Amino acid sequence: MTTAIRVGALRAPAARASGLHREGRAAYLFLAPSLLFFCIFLILPFLFAIALAFSDWGGFDLGTIEWAGFANFSEVLSLDGAFVRPILVNTLMFAFGSVLLATVGSVLVAHCIEQLHFQGFWRVLYFLPVVATVVAIGNVWKMMYQPAGLINGVLNKLGVNSIGFLSDASYALPSVTVVHAWASIGGAVLILTAGLKAIPLMYYEAAAVDGASPGRMFWQITLPLLRPSLLFVLITQFIGGLQSFALIIVMTGDGGPVNATNVAAFEMYQQAFKFGAWGTASAMAMVLFVVIFAITLLQLWIARRRGEETS
Amino acid sequence: MRRRFPWFSYLVVVIGGVAMVMPFLDMVMSSFKGAGEYGVIPYEFLPESFSLDNYRDAFSQLELGRLFRNSVIVTVSVTISVLVTSSMAGYALAKLRFRGRAVIFRFILATMMLPPFLLLIPVFLIMLNWPLAGGNDLLGRGGDGGLTTSLLALILPFTVSGFGIFLMRQFMVSLPDEMLEAARIDGANQWQTWRLIVLPQTKPVAITLGLITFIGMWNEYIWTLLISSSEPSLQTLPVGIQLLQSFLDPDRTMPIVMAGLVVSTLPVLVVFLLFQKYYVRGVVLSGLK
Repeated sequence: MTTAIRVGALRAPAARASGLHREGRAAYLFLAPSLLFFCIFLILPFLFAIALAFSDWGGFDLGTIEWAGFANFSEVLSLDGAFVRPILVNTLMFAFGSVLLATVGSVLVAHCIEQLHFQGFWRVLYFLPVVATVVAIGNVWKMMYQPAGLINGVLNKLGVNSIGFLSDASYALPSVTVVHAWASIGGAVLILTAGLKAIPLMYYEAAAVDGASPGRMFWQITLPLLRPSLLFVLITQFIGGLQSFALIIVMTGDGGPVNATNVAAFEMYQQAFKFGAWGTASAMAMVLFVVIFAITLLQLWIARRRGEETS
Repeated sequence: MRRRFPWFSYLVVVIGGVAMVMPFLDMVMSSFKGAGEYGVIPYEFLPESFSLDNYRDAFSQLELGRLFRNSVIVTVSVTISVLVTSSMAGYALAKLRFRGRAVIFRFILATMMLPPFLLLIPVFLIMLNWPLAGGNDLLGRGGDGGLTTSLLALILPFTVSGFGIFLMRQFMVSLPDEMLEAARIDGANQWQTWRLIVLPQTKPVAITLGLITFIGMWNEYIWTLLISSSEPSLQTLPVGIQLLQSFLDPDRTMPIVMAGLVVSTLPVLVVFLLFQKYYVRGVVLSGLK
């Protein structure tokens, strides 16, 4: 017995080492396609993006690229330009607005669906826009927002004058924001539902015994215990809102009327692919990236702090 | 827990539900509106004639066959590639012991933090200057468009997904080690173990990932718009349909756009409704990371 163990103990390291060596080689072979991809389509472009932000370059000949220092950033962040105001302000309002609407809406809907029959059916209903292309969503809403569209049709029947949802500069951004919120409610409902299901039923039973009203239970039990999923939804949707611009291309074409719906990622796209100003566009991308990165770090920090609280 | 009839909840969910479905119904109704019925005040929800003219026009004005072919080629290639690469990388990260495993896993989590818009410009320039493609020399110079003139341009930047690797890895961690051990004792090498033992077990998560990738690619817009703006033969369904719209006569073209959208949305909708259980699970999983 003892000898067997000792022999095993002596032999094991060598055998394990060669096994591990082979396993390591296999592992890297399995990872090779993905790592190669990340090098070409992630790391290289990321470094390239940083370099471009500090350079002055038009056209496509790499030989003509020139170092520009912080010139692009001072141009982009200058208060005389359009980037900080209205574009960056628009971006924040678009993201804030759609997160606010989508979160309030999805908490309400997710909570209410829990009380009903056919829960799966209702959730799929709210999830439908996620399946549709942004071209469909954008055009349908654009159509509904027209003077002769569904929404103004209803308003007119109620005796309200038509509103130029997309043509009036003061309505355009809120109108687009509503559509973005509408499209993202379904995903939030699903994540919040998972959070709701994780709340132990006994809390509600105890509260019911104490005679708490449904409204009180919602505010005192559901909402506090939903905080982790709620925070996740808030932050991911906010990050999503900050970088989204497909809807704006489809609905307003050029970020109009007069920059009213222009957002940072779209301005970057225009600067790069309409005007060929790679440097300016990349500096814009960097500014937006830093904003998003800071929010992501905040999310990680909050998640970690919460982890320490519970452990 | 006994409750009274939840009338408040019904009210909220039904009103919200109407708001979710109404745009889609308006899309379908408008696609059937005949000449002179669209863009008229007062607005009418139901079409008078239920005409199929818009569908006929959409089919004749769009090269629907080509758009559909491009959409299918791009979507299917990306879906297969993501499934294969994710399950390979996921297996290595979940079940193989090697130096650097923790670092690589963290790196893959970090890749998900890079927003796509940041990579738009550099990836475009990289595709344009791809060595030995589209007449480029070894240093990627001199050619005409590099890789941006072929369907590969629409496929390559999406072939691997950090999220996919993460999803697969999380699923595979829970597979019992004894099963893999048994395969090894029977003489299977790592490749055979992955192919014959692990892959068949991952079916549920593969359906989830496949579905998310499929729907995402079918609807992809920004990158395809960019690439196809100089190479119209690369248009996919969303891009082609969007270009149907004429700024000169929106009241005539919008119903045709709607008809095209109904046709292009239907396949995804059917696939989604058939497999929605898997899709929903993927969304929830992404929320639990």
